[in-house]
Formats: sequence, structure tokens, C-alpha cells
Amino acid sequence: MIARSASLLMMGLAMAAAPAAAQDVAAVIAIPPLTTPDDKATGTDSPAAVAWQASQLIASDLRTTAELVPVGPDQKDYYSYPEVTAPTFSRWRAKGAKFVLTGFVRSRPDGRLTVGCYVYDAVKGREVGRTGFVVAPEDWRRAAHKCSGIAYTAATGAPGIFDTRIAYVAESGPPSARVKRIAVMDGDGNNQSFLTPGDTIVLTPRLSPKAENLAYVSYLGGHANVRIINLASNEQRPLVPDSAMSFAPRFAPDGRRIVFSMQAGTNTDIYVADSSGGQAQRLTVAPGIDTDPSFAPDGTQIAFESDRSGTQQIYSMAADGTAQRRISFGGGWYAAPVWSPDGEWIAFARRVPGAGSRIGVMKPDGSGEKLLTDGALDEGPSWAASGHELIFQRSGADGRPALYRVTLAGGDARKVVTPQDASDPDWSGALD
Amino acid sequence: MRRALLLLALVGSAASAQFPGLSRRPSVPPAPMPAPAPVPMLLGIDGMRAEFVAQSGSDKVYFGGDSAVLTAPAKATLAAQAQWLRRHPEIIVRIEGHADPSDTRDHALAVGARRAEEVRDYLVLLGVPAAQLSTVSWGKENVAVMGASQDALALNRRAVTVLVR
Repeated sequence: MIARSASLLMMGLAMAAAPAAAQDVAAVIAIPPLTTPDDKATGTDSPAAVAWQASQLIASDLRTTAELVPVGPDQKDYYSYPEVTAPTFSRWRAKGAKFVLTGFVRSRPDGRLTVGCYVYDAVKGREVGRTGFVVAPEDWRRAAHKCSGIAYTAATGAPGIFDTRIAYVAESGPPSARVKRIAVMDGDGNNQSFLTPGDTIVLTPRLSPKAENLAYVSYLGGHANVRIINLASNEQRPLVPDSAMSFAPRFAPDGRRIVFSMQAGTNTDIYVADSSGGQAQRLTVAPGIDTDPSFAPDGTQIAFESDRSGTQQIYSMAADGTAQRRISFGGGWYAAPVWSPDGEWIAFARRVPGAGSRIGVMKPDGSGEKLLTDGALDEGPSWAASGHELIFQRSGADGRPALYRVTLAGGDARKVVTPQDASDPDWSGALD
Repeated sequence: MRRALLLLALVGSAASAQFPGLSRRPSVPPAPMPAPAPVPMLLGIDGMRAEFVAQSGSDKVYFGGDSAVLTAPAKATLAAQAQWLRRHPEIIVRIEGHADPSDTRDHALAVGARRAEEVRDYLVLLGVPAAQLSTVSWGKENVAVMGASQDALALNRRAVTVLVR
């Protein structure tokens, strides 16, 4: 069911140039091709072929960031195996590079490949990061994403966003009869897979931090209900008994607990439950709609949305439901708060009644608000593992949704290419 | 025709035993039957739905932005719906709440639920047995009218009284 599509269709992220505003501070990183000591073998799975493809993937990964400008790979820049750990810094400095990434691919007797990557500060002439993996030849992409990740971390101090998964709702069919399926893809758009058959409406897939489990909302039982899928076994079950409407699930940073909303009469409140089962604990009791809860990365606080004041606003509370307080006061309506992985920001959709909604961020105390997008109907923000970027849903005038990325630094949002219309994106943390 | 009405009445009383909510029916006498309409002898559920819409004026009521408050026109429609539903306690009804596409995903679900609940509560207030009624929210998943115009949005903020069987 979760069979990973083997066909490498060109479904990568749109490779638009980095936003102009951010380019002023972007650092150049040289990506000469990874080398190999086994240059006799040939074929698509040979170390030499994988080394060349991995080099291209690393460059294309880093090109999607606002902080790094990759140069290469160029076949003229091949270097010998011993030079992997002794690059000629002056050569890269002369080309304007602040960083240089070297590496190798070597075959092992058991048929697998060893992939090693090193990142150097070319100006200071010292190593700033390294990583190594043993992978099956067909898993070379994950090793390359890990190499991209250490380069990104070395340059920015933030976790890499390349070895990650993105869950979303794939949509097809006419507006009056949309077919919706839960879909998961790699962070770069590869390995698309569909987890539900499209026979019932599904919404808001949310990955656990390491993408081991996925919570989503299904109308399988006739009304909205949170279900959990184990992505390894594909087994699934309801989070809570199927009696009340439950929705808006999101995992806690520990990957075990889930916060969500449950409706009773005209009232909707926030609950927390263990993802493996057990009694749900009620966290809010105020009359009105309390929904879209999101844990802070340290697990001590929860941001959520409530209309208890009359309009949708963002609130925060302690993880046990105490100390509830409103934090959005900018005028207008605020929805769908999501705490950033570094704890610095809360992203949201700001609604202007009758005039659509935009994605923005504010500090957890409500200060420093800034709007990042200018679409007519942007919603559903989800953070990249780096905390520097968001993925969100933008609906066009025809009502058809697509996924977009936007950086905290600003600049235009960039479309994420998906095989079908796409909504409700959720970006995992960096995988192990 | 007289025989058909008798048959319907019998079905109604047989079904009423299954609905404890019926005992809470107010003792107001049922509204007089309208003049016999040229309907088929045996009404399938589709025929019942057509009759319900014709006699209630509409199976839908509409709401203001972000609101689940019943307007005067909505209350008038629901009063007519309640009159018909009280005469048909054998019909199972599902009230479906919807939000407009400018709402955010999860808030739309909650608002749709709130609208359906308000309609259900009002119908019960007017004497429709609670056991006859269920609710569901479709959030913004079933868009009735496409477009971002205020008119299109308003036509999506609705609760629909659906005769199930």
C-alpha cells in the first residue's frame, strides 16, 4: 500500500532562484563532484554513477535554500580520493566560495555503498562538518540529502530540511465531487505514495516528528474523526471512539501524545491523548470553538485558536491547560497557529473577513508580527525543520489548491510541484 | 387516496413506538393536512424529499459570516420544515452544516457543526423528536457554489436538512 513509487518522475520542487532579498547574505558553496576509488565499475548503480547523481542532488537541494548558493558540480573539478579530506582551499576561495563540500562513494563487499561527505570553511581552511552512511545503492538519495543537511547546518546552524517527509492531501476531480487522498512524499518531492484510497473525504495529515506515524481526519465513520496510521506497517485505527466529531490533530514533540479538538453540541474543546490509545484529557472548557492546537518544541506550552472573544484569535496555555491567555491583538482574525521547531515563532493564517487570508508569524508573546505572503487564500502553514521556512496551501480563484514554500526572510512564495492538486501540507522534522 | 393516508398513518404509529422522543411531543394537534396533492400512491424517499422541499419552502437555511445565529427567514423555513417532520416521525433526518471556503479548514469544521446543532436544537424546540435528528459537519468540504464573491460565500454558509430514509 505504501509502496514507494520507483519511477523517478520529475516531481522535484520548482527550482526558482532564491529570493532576491535573501541573496545578499547567501554564501557560495562549491560542490565539486563526489569522487570514488572504484572508478573501474560502470552502470547506473556503480559508485561513479551514484557519485555524480548525488553531487547533482546536493547542489539542487541547496539551491532551494535562501542561505546558500551552490556552484557545481562540474566534471572539470574532479579530484582524487585522498583529496576528499585535503581540498585545495585557495582554488575555491579564488572562485568566491565560502564553503566547499567534498565526498566519496565506495562500494562494499556486501553490495551496499559507503557515502561520506565533508564540509569545509574555505576561507578559514578548516572542516566544519562531516557525515557518513552505508546505504543500499537504491537509497543513495537519502545519503545525498544527509550531505546537503550537514552543509546547511554548517552554514546556518539550523537542522537540514532535505532528509524529511511532507504529508499532504492529494485532490482530484470536479469541485462538486473532489476525491481526496492522504499522500506522503520526500522533502524534495520524490517518492510519492498514497495512503488512503480516495473513497471518503480525508483532511489534515500530520506526521509525527520522525515521520513514523501519521494522524489525519477521515469521514470513514460518517463524520470527521481522527485516525492514526503506522507508516511502517500501514495499520490504522481511530484515536478516540467514533462517537464525537474529532479533528485538528497534531503530535507533541515526543511523538507519543496528540493534541486535537473534539466537538460536543455547539462547543468545541481541545483534548490531549496518547497516540497508542487511552483516555483523552480535556484541556479547555471555555464556551466557543477552541481548535488547531500546536505544542511548543519543549512540550511545556500549547498554542491554539479560540473564538471565545467573538472572533478567531491565537491563545497559548501550559501543557496541562492552565494559564490560558490571548496573544494576538493585531486586529483581524487569526487562525491555525503552529509553533516553530526552534521555539522562536508562531506561524498563523491571518483572515481578513471577506478578503481572504495570508500566512504570517509572531513571537510567542504576540510581538513582532509580520505577514509573509500575499495570496488571496493562503492557509495551513507548517514549518520546515530548519525553522527558516514554511510550507502552506494557496487556493487559486478557481478554488484549486496547491502547495507553496516561503522563507522567513521574505521574498516570493515558490510553488511546490505535486502530481495533483494539493492541500493541508505538513512537513516532518529531520529524519534519523 | 383515503386508503393511502390511512396506510401512512399506520406506518407512522408503528414507527413511533421505536422513538422514545415522540413521547415528548407537545400536545398541539397536527396541522391540518393540505389539500391532496397529485402525488404518487407510494412515495419513495425521493418523492418524500420533493414533497418536503415543496411544503417547507427549502431544505436549506443560510447564515451570516462566521455565525451560527438563526435569522428570521431561517426560522420561518425551519418552522415549515418542523411542521412536515412532525407529520413524518418515520423519516430519519440528518442535518448537514457547512462553512464557506474563505474559512480556515478546522474552524470551518467547528462552525459547520455549530450551524447543524443550532438547526437541530430549533427543530426540537418546535416539537420534532430529537431521536429523529442527527447532525454532521462537512466544514468547507462540500462547496455548493464556486467563487470568492460575497454572494457565492453566503450561499455556502448553510445547513441542509437531509431526509435519509
